[in-house]
Amino acid sequence: MSGLIQLLNNHGISHEVIIKATFYFIAGVTLLFALFVVLARNIFHVAVYLAITILGIACVYLYLDAEFLAIVQVLIYVGAIVTLFIFTIMLTADIDTGSIRGIILRVLVSALVSLALFFILVRVIVMTNWKVALPGNLPIDLPQLGKSLMLDYALPFEVISLISLAAIIGAIVIGKAEKK
Amino acid sequence: MIPQSHFLLLGAALFSIGIFGVLTRRNAIGILMSIELILNAANINLITFSKFSDNPDGLGQIFALFVIAIAAASTVVGLCLVISIYRNSKTILINKINLMKW
Repeated sequence: MSGLIQLLNNHGISHEVIIKATFYFIAGVTLLFALFVVLARNIFHVAVYLAITILGIACVYLYLDAEFLAIVQVLIYVGAIVTLFIFTIMLTADIDTGSIRGIILRVLVSALVSLALFFILVRVIVMTNWKVALPGNLPIDLPQLGKSLMLDYALPFEVISLISLAAIIGAIVIGKAEKK
Repeated sequence: MIPQSHFLLLGAALFSIGIFGVLTRRNAIGILMSIELILNAANINLITFSKFSDNPDGLGQIFALFVIAIAAASTVVGLCLVISIYRNSKTILINKINLMKW
């Protein structure tokens, strides 16, 4: 990999350009697979496309200096949530028919709504005068993140653990097989 | 350096795709997956603003962490409900589930 970068450097392509090109490639792949997630027919394939999309988003987190979140994203989403989706798909029989075909009007209206929303968001983002990133901004390091999670935000942290516990108990109660 | 607006545009595109999925999917699992896309778009925005703020204290990252935890909890409960519905009515297509509709 470093040899390849060296080769590109020799041909007048700087490190900066390589980083940028990689980012836009990753963003494009992420958006492509996100489209597959909403358009694919087979719901099992959709779960795999969702995993690829989430891996792409984890790479985007790396560009934002959020290494810890990238790792958490891969662990929790790809490791736990997508696995859970696949298990649920296997436990329920309707593997197909998540299709968007058949109800043309509904698809058209939905496309119109989401496209309108997208254009409003794009217009706002483009028209706003964002600051250029300050060069002195240091990335947030992991010890600092852990300290603020345990000291400043200890109460939300405890509440989150309570919510997780409630979700576990609720899942067991709802998913429990009924006695015959 | 990649400008802030490009990250925000990526988040906006993911959000719109997720909205489209929620509106068009008939399979309940597909709807839950589209909701995951929407939550991820929100997380990209949170982390972007955290990085490009004046004094970065990591608050956006911590918030994104909580969003991921709540997304996991809600997905678990949602999938459990899907399994329970399937057990009762043998379908997870939302246009065929009319137990609580007149």
